[in-house]
Amino acid sequence: MPNRARRVAVTSPQTRLAHSRGRARGRWRVPRLESTDAERAAELYRRQRALGAVSLLLVLILLVGLPLVFWAWPELDSVRLAGVPVSWLMLAVLPYPLMAFLSWWQLRGAERIEER
Amino acid sequence: MVALMAVAPLVLVTLLIGLRGVAAMRTTSDFLVASRRVSPLLNSAAVSGEYLSAASFLGVAGLIVKDGVGALWYPVGFTAGYIAMLILVAAPMRRSGALTVPDFAEARLASPGLRRLSALVVLVIGVLYLVPQFRTAGLVLSAVSSTPYWVGVVISGTVVSATLALGGMRAATYVQAFQFVVKLLLFIVPAIWLVAQVGPEVRHSAVHPVEFTRFDRDTPVSFQVDVVLEVDTPTVVRSSDGQESVLTPGRLDVQAGQTLVFEKGGQVPAVRGAAPLGGEEWQRPLLNTNNAGYPLLGTLAILTATVLGTMGLPHVLMRFHTSPDGRSARRTAAITVALLGMFYLFPGVYGALGHVLVPQLYLSGTTDTVVVALPTQVDTGWAGTAFSALLTAGAFAAFLATSLGLLLAVSGAIAHDLVPGGLRRVRITVLLAAAAMVLLALPSARLDAGVLVTWGFTVTAATFCPLLVLGIWWSGLTRTGALSGMLAGLLGTSGAIVLALAGPQVDGWQGILITQPAPWAVPLAFATMVVVSLFGRPSPWARKAMLRLHLDEPPPHGPTADPPQPPGDDRSA
Repeated sequence: MPNRARRVAVTSPQTRLAHSRGRARGRWRVPRLESTDAERAAELYRRQRALGAVSLLLVLILLVGLPLVFWAWPELDSVRLAGVPVSWLMLAVLPYPLMAFLSWWQLRGAERIEER
Repeated sequence: MVALMAVAPLVLVTLLIGLRGVAAMRTTSDFLVASRRVSPLLNSAAVSGEYLSAASFLGVAGLIVKDGVGALWYPVGFTAGYIAMLILVAAPMRRSGALTVPDFAEARLASPGLRRLSALVVLVIGVLYLVPQFRTAGLVLSAVSSTPYWVGVVISGTVVSATLALGGMRAATYVQAFQFVVKLLLFIVPAIWLVAQVGPEVRHSAVHPVEFTRFDRDTPVSFQVDVVLEVDTPTVVRSSDGQESVLTPGRLDVQAGQTLVFEKGGQVPAVRGAAPLGGEEWQRPLLNTNNAGYPLLGTLAILTATVLGTMGLPHVLMRFHTSPDGRSARRTAAITVALLGMFYLFPGVYGALGHVLVPQLYLSGTTDTVVVALPTQVDTGWAGTAFSALLTAGAFAAFLATSLGLLLAVSGAIAHDLVPGGLRRVRITVLLAAAAMVLLALPSARLDAGVLVTWGFTVTAATFCPLLVLGIWWSGLTRTGALSGMLAGLLGTSGAIVLALAGPQVDGWQGILITQPAPWAVPLAFATMVVVSLFGRPSPWARKAMLRLHLDEPPPHGPTADPPQPPGDDRSA
């Protein structure tokens, strides 16, 4: 690439001013929310919280349930599927599709809540 | 030597993409909208690329050989962390506009003190996370090129510093996404080759483990770290110069640098504090931490730390800012779960083959080199050497990606939040931080990558996790509450870690709670935050500051790249 010019950072005058004052972020301001926005935000918050609680519970069931199953039924170590102990498969393979499905489900739910 | 040559092109390509990526974005409008164009898929590849560290690439397989099949819980926790992130943090954090947790602390609670404490926590996490990266990179380099450990660590430090100095991470999203693809291919292809190459007997014994009690051939074991062995019966060994000696029953301290050749048929000594390789306990799918006999507690301790720790990792959170809005940050987190799931299907393959083919690594205390040691065991010709080189390159990619991201996050915390200064300060801080990590990694060869990294997760889970979760979902959180909760979590976890490193050996469940403090430290931090907050009064604007995080962005005008919404849904708000 011939004659490459030196790159310069493009900033607005306000940003340059802020930089020269030694503080890039500007002063902290009290958060504001229009009243219509506030209503929508409160509604979204409530519904996302309800959905999140259900999803968290499902994650918890998976992540606490599986060790409990292994602990309660050691026989799973000697049952074999295609030569591999079933308990190994349940740990090495099973959680990943389950978790991928769970996150897809949570994502879809969260996006539906935000539909306008 | 071949393996070292495989690392060089990787570093070069990383640099090239970094430089090209910057060159490709030259006009002002490109520059301004670059982040808007990063799709969730590309960004989640970048997140995964930054996240998959040496601990994932090498450490998990190593821990399987060392601790047993239960070590597979680590990757489950590493992945599940992104579901927790998706549910609790991804979209609100992006909508807060904060790049880092210190930023978030100031935006949500308007407290400079909290900002500085958060920056300090970033430092602690950075050290706990970076030291194992440097240590493992050094270990692998020294294993494949048979140089001393410290040479490997210094080389790794030099490469990282050079890459940073030459600006190799500038187009970070592209570099990280590239690194993810490299790592995925360099991990999966050799795994498939290994399984195909080893032959039916090895495949059979990989899934039918028998306890490693007798050496089935003359086995040289080169000890790269100090190890304490327990010898049961008199055992004949030869040292490297061919001298025979007999190990007497009892405790045996082996120094780093020694090589002992165990005779065929001799009894395998036990390693202090580890479950016998391939034995009954080793096969259980639960983590019997410290061999203490509380597998359920051990497993849940690891899960608590990894699942709740992920959402606060400084280098990962920064990546989410590349998403244009909260919605795509959420999609990024969801896709990351799937991408990581693909990668984490394979450490088990290396672990299962490793305990059959290179059981001697279990004795030498450097199980983290299992992955790179396997190909040359299977094939002594060019193919084994080539695959070994590829795996080394992949491990180095993992090391590079995570180290660069973390070093930037750590120096950002120092230069931005602790001692504010200009950009020049950041550059110098990065180099100083890299040098400090090299010095800390030198005496750490003995510590497993997976364990150290989990400590990083533990500190995050007991500090940033409660701050983010309560900050986003509870308007009653006060400054004092957040400060005291974070302090409680930080002091609790770091105290336990210091005790685990320097204190006396504690047995039983108390020992587990010291080496893995998450089960008590995380509830302690949450409880402190809530109780102290309840005694104080949140600011009058606290509810607004919280609700703002949940407000979605107005839909973009004009044609959008969003997929069509599912039909038949009439719940429009």
